[in-house]
Amino acid sequence: MKHTDSGSAAAPESGQADATYVFAVCGRGCDPAALAGLSGQAAGTPVRLLPFGSLEAVVQDVPARAFGEETLRERLSDRAELEQCARAHHAVIAAAADTAPTLPLPLATLYRGDERARAALRADEGRFLAVLERIADRVEWGIKVYAGRRRPSTPAPPHQASRPRTPGGRESRAVGSASRPGHAYLERVRGARDEREQRQEAGLAAADAVDRALRKVAVAGRRLRSHDPALNPEHGVQLLNAAYLVDQERAAELMGAIEQLRRSPEHRGIELEVTGPWVPYSFVEGGDPVAGR
Amino acid sequence: MTERTITHPASQPSGPANLADILERVLDKGIVIAGDIKIDLLDIELLTIRLRLFVSSVETAKKAGIDWWETDPALSTRAHRDAVDEENQRLRERVAELEAGHEDRDDTAESRNHRWHHVKEARRP
Repeated sequence: MKHTDSGSAAAPESGQADATYVFAVCGRGCDPAALAGLSGQAAGTPVRLLPFGSLEAVVQDVPARAFGEETLRERLSDRAELEQCARAHHAVIAAAADTAPTLPLPLATLYRGDERARAALRADEGRFLAVLERIADRVEWGIKVYAGRRRPSTPAPPHQASRPRTPGGRESRAVGSASRPGHAYLERVRGARDEREQRQEAGLAAADAVDRALRKVAVAGRRLRSHDPALNPEHGVQLLNAAYLVDQERAAELMGAIEQLRRSPEHRGIELEVTGPWVPYSFVEGGDPVAGR
Repeated sequence: MTERTITHPASQPSGPANLADILERVLDKGIVIAGDIKIDLLDIELLTIRLRLFVSSVETAKKAGIDWWETDPALSTRAHRDAVDEENQRLRERVAELEAGHEDRDDTAESRNHRWHHVKEARRP
């Protein structure tokens, strides 16, 4: 049956089949019991292991109809569905990673059936093995650095706010600010701006220092995009959003380094936030000197 | 293995910040398989689905205020620069990888052209 890309109304008769949703690839030894009871991306079908070559994939049968391109797009345009899918995907990966080294796959990696999945996975077995070796006994930690919440000194409004502004104020700056409240105001604005810029410079430098310090403990580090401050209003601007791949046995050392950074007087203006340990999502692809390409 | 925020118990575990942490990982990270599988219903291959999925998810995220793609330009420019450079590098590598993967596979030239045809279509709004 052939359907075209655009504008094809979903043909109900072709929606019967299941698709194989692949969550992750594990080294052999993933405990199926850890996956039992997870709802994954579909209610009613188990999250299971699909062996291929010397490895196993964590998969689930999902109704192809619900995972067709248009349908998926629609579903994931809904914030609640997006959140549910993302959390379900993550939950399966985290559960698998509790029992065996695990390579996460991005959300919505789908195949027409187990055999198609197996064929695709087997073709990449060598790459999986190399990356699995690299992340074995290592976890990802997320570190965010926020600008501190010191309030900027907001300039007071001018006394005579209604006075019309005159253009070309530059040359009249020499006039004493006592007699020109508008100019005093502008100077305060300028001062506040300079102060803010200095603080930003200092914050970025501090973030760089944090990054350098943590890379010393980590096997690898990667900068992620900063989150919008609106996301997390209780914090200031995000100066650094980074992920570090760290040997499991060096977790205490990492925490120690973070504590030290927090206590350091030169970093008093910033806040550090730690998340983790994560499955090494950010370190399974790219920038990989081990994986032969 | 679960994510937890160690230092700021104030930020709710199921709150939007945490969702952003998850989204940036499950949408944008992970090991990509240069697969050639299409969803039965629509004759679209995996990469196309992912591209569109990604775009629509980003749009969704933006609507919901989960907007890690843009921040206050006054400060974000520098904070972002390294991240974006790394990102670009990684995407270039990924594209090279995918292209190499396609060539390595035992696919016929026709099916390759077929797939990329769809990718191009997908990018055209």
